[in-house]
Amino acid sequence: MKNRKHKSDLAILFATLGLMALGLIVIYAIGPMRANVLNSTYGTEYDSNYFFFGQLRAVILSLIAFFAAFKWIPYRYVKKYAKALLIVALALCGLLWILSMMHSNLAKCELGECRWFQFGPVSFQPAEFLKLAMVVYLADFMARKREEGNLGKLREFWLPLAIVSGLSLFLVVIAEGDLGTGVALISIIFGMLLIAGVPARQYLVMLALVLAVAVGAVVTSSHRMERVDAWLATMSGSETSDSTYHIENAILAIGTGGLFGVGIGNSVQATGYLPESINDSIFAILGETFGFIGLFIIILIFAVILFRILKVAQSTQASDEQLFITGVFSWMLAQVIVNIMAMTGLVPVTGITLPLLSYGGTSMVFLAYALGLVLQLSCYTSREVITNEDISSGGRLGRAYHSSRRRSS
Amino acid sequence: MLQNNHPESGLIFSTKRRIDILKLLVFIALAVITLRLFFIQILEHDHWIAKADQEHTLLETITARRGEIYMMDKNEPVAAVLNQTTYQIVIDPTVTAKEDIQHVLETFAKDYTVANLDEVYSTEGLRYSIVAKGVPRNVIEEIVKEEPRAIWFKKTNQRVYPEGSLGSSMLGFINSDGEGQYGIERSLDGVLSGKDGLLKTTADVNSVALSIGNDNIKIPAENGKDIVLSIDRGLEMGAEEIATKHIEKTAATNAAVLIMDPSNSEVLAMSSLPNYDPNHYSEVTDASAYLNQVTEVPYEPASVCKSFAFSAAINEGVMNANTTYFNQGYEVVDGWEIKNAEQRASLYGTLDMRTALYWSLNTGSIYALKLLGGNTAAINQKGREKLFDYYYNKFRLGQATGIELNEAEGFIPDPNDGWGRDSVYANMTFGQNLGITMIQTATAYSAIVNGGTYRTPTIVKGELKNGTIVPLDTTSTSDIAGKPSDTMEGTAAPEPVENKTEEKILSDETSTTMREMFVNNRDYKRKGGIDRAGYEIGGKSGTAQVIKNGAYDDTMNETIGTYIGFVGTKGELPKYVIMVKMWGDGQHLDGPIASNLFDDISNYVIDYYKVKPKV
Repeated sequence: MKNRKHKSDLAILFATLGLMALGLIVIYAIGPMRANVLNSTYGTEYDSNYFFFGQLRAVILSLIAFFAAFKWIPYRYVKKYAKALLIVALALCGLLWILSMMHSNLAKCELGECRWFQFGPVSFQPAEFLKLAMVVYLADFMARKREEGNLGKLREFWLPLAIVSGLSLFLVVIAEGDLGTGVALISIIFGMLLIAGVPARQYLVMLALVLAVAVGAVVTSSHRMERVDAWLATMSGSETSDSTYHIENAILAIGTGGLFGVGIGNSVQATGYLPESINDSIFAILGETFGFIGLFIIILIFAVILFRILKVAQSTQASDEQLFITGVFSWMLAQVIVNIMAMTGLVPVTGITLPLLSYGGTSMVFLAYALGLVLQLSCYTSREVITNEDISSGGRLGRAYHSSRRRSS
Repeated sequence: MLQNNHPESGLIFSTKRRIDILKLLVFIALAVITLRLFFIQILEHDHWIAKADQEHTLLETITARRGEIYMMDKNEPVAAVLNQTTYQIVIDPTVTAKEDIQHVLETFAKDYTVANLDEVYSTEGLRYSIVAKGVPRNVIEEIVKEEPRAIWFKKTNQRVYPEGSLGSSMLGFINSDGEGQYGIERSLDGVLSGKDGLLKTTADVNSVALSIGNDNIKIPAENGKDIVLSIDRGLEMGAEEIATKHIEKTAATNAAVLIMDPSNSEVLAMSSLPNYDPNHYSEVTDASAYLNQVTEVPYEPASVCKSFAFSAAINEGVMNANTTYFNQGYEVVDGWEIKNAEQRASLYGTLDMRTALYWSLNTGSIYALKLLGGNTAAINQKGREKLFDYYYNKFRLGQATGIELNEAEGFIPDPNDGWGRDSVYANMTFGQNLGITMIQTATAYSAIVNGGTYRTPTIVKGELKNGTIVPLDTTSTSDIAGKPSDTMEGTAAPEPVENKTEEKILSDETSTTMREMFVNNRDYKRKGGIDRAGYEIGGKSGTAQVIKNGAYDDTMNETIGTYIGFVGTKGELPKYVIMVKMWGDGQHLDGPIASNLFDDISNYVIDYYKVKPKV
């Protein structure tokens, strides 16, 4: 019953490659400034092209991952190892936590948060791997539960989901202090839950529950509360403080861009005024450099990717594949929206990278891999969009291929 | 369409519909973001541009290098005032680790620390703090070896006076704001300081200028000029040393010395003692120590002024050295009895003017004034006007000379305006009832002995340019204090402001006669072996009463001793004019005491310049 292979979604392909190229260009322009700021402030000795070559390496690795996922590794193989992948990811996060508590050299810390393994010149952020592993695992898990008719059941569905999600969030948010990845994980879980088709009331209750826990986590942590305070202060235009500095300078960068921007290489905010100018704040630098028109085009490119992913999801018949695609969508959506909204002062700063544009290897490689898999699946969509499909009918109508495959595995 | 497993669940959507929800979510989120961007980038654009300008623009003055000051060492310029580059240590308390800067300061720069770190680190919002000042380069190099993080060094210029207190009141000093105070530092501040440049540029967060931006301005600094003084370092040193010894061995607490070349009015030494060290000017407790006694303090040089009254009468052809008058020891003018200081009986009777000057008889100089009026019986208007003409117009007493220093003008009373003009003018013939400075006196005296030509005194030899001395372009010296600003605004191309006067005011014969009488004055010095044979050394002393509570203190408890004279080879025009002044609060110091100082200095000058005797 499987649809015959056809051409992949070219829009996603070119949009992804385009963003990677743009990120590389911008990092090339502002990397030397970043190196200069770090060198003169912290006495480091970064070469002026250090960040460009770092990003180039990340892009090359990402392209390999992207095309490997797209062309060479069928999704079904990946799915086969869903559980193993998740266990390895969780184990790596746990190991990092232990290493950081032991103050091991293998754990790389920045500003008090230990989020990276460090092996010589190579660093690796296991939380990024965990995101991918969660998407793969949850797609398999939810599809399976749906097939079994256990969707929404407490013991069979909610309990294992809560354990897996809770453990992931604990390792990411509490152990690593990585609120940004936490937000992405929650977005992934709820995005996939929505598509899996849990009963609406349950869905809303769970969403309310998670939001309550999130609010609780914020108000009980002084440094998270500080970010919210800073955000509120910036919103109300009250006095400047160190906490509001980041948001203010992000908006200042975007604001100076105007309609057309100051042009590549002319960013002033990147010369040290704007914190994290090459990572989390790159959107603000893009705003300064390319102006409203430039940002509008960038947002349009993201919109193309996001909508096309959803289109692929809609025309994918297999439930687990559809869930996987939605997971990748939720992952990307969370990062794009939360990052940009933080940079424009719409939500508090959480420390999240802008997909495909921000400096940083691990996050780009895993997202590229995920997008590669989506692209692979886009080759097997059915021409006509499945309409009128009922949740309850899942696995009973038109699901023979998957059902049989599940049983055979 | 109800889900079989969960019959209790509410609304059920198809997967497509649920994906549509996600699409809607994406659309709303991106629309909100786009609106927000439109708001920030289009509507608020000007606001953010203004704010960015405020944050990014670095306005920095490029400090002009201050000109250095040189003295002469015979014929070679030698540095007397230099610039030394020192550094400030600057930290940003939000970035610099307290332990780091504490370590650096305690290990290397303890003596230069100017800030309390506890205070600096407890000040909220402080991003810039100078924690050490005046740190020499070698210390900075030591610190740099430690590779400290987030510690910056800012270059500054410091004024250094390598000769210490030498000529301090003539040189002046630089205050903590970099402004010239007193002396040459003040009077030639405009020439020395140059013109600061301006750098307006976009800068990075560490205030390092960037090449980004369109309205960057860079006006380079115009460095100050290096000035060579006519002061001779060796002569200045010797004169100060000798004067200091004389202060020690007399009742004087202060002394001032001026040595100039009468042929061109170049000042060769100028000193007000005791000195202070301009490197540590703030340690001076009495600000009067900063004053240049030679140019800034008018006083009554007393009998020294008889030289001017005598010259006037001789030059008018109404008197010569052999003119006689009857000395009765006193003279009554306007009802006042003016007595001679010297009252020995042998002087009673008919005397010639040479003798009157030798014994410094007031009756003699009053007689000269009478002769100027053409009436030997009484002082008259014509005589007063003649004397005023000589004192004020020819000798230029009571007015700024135009030397490149801060000057006091002093005063010469009007010959007609006011009560008791005759007695005032009688007093003026022996140097009272007027206020003139040492530089005025010595310049006028130089004219008397140099053949009769008055030349504006100068202390500046020129500008040192590429190792050679070139004339100092004074067009930029508009702010020389004390210089009459006679250049009108808006006049055509300003001529090189050449305020130098050179005017023949006395005949050669007058000059010769006066020299002969000055030499005669020192007859006893020559006979006593103080003045060496083969040289022509002449002079005139003065003992001035001090005005206390508005009247002359007749008790003579406090007097100022002055001596002025010249030194040269016998039979030639004088080479050096030397003027000394000695005083002390409540101390009696007279001409003879001052003449002893003159003796030592004149002999030093002969040795120092190897003036050849004529045998």
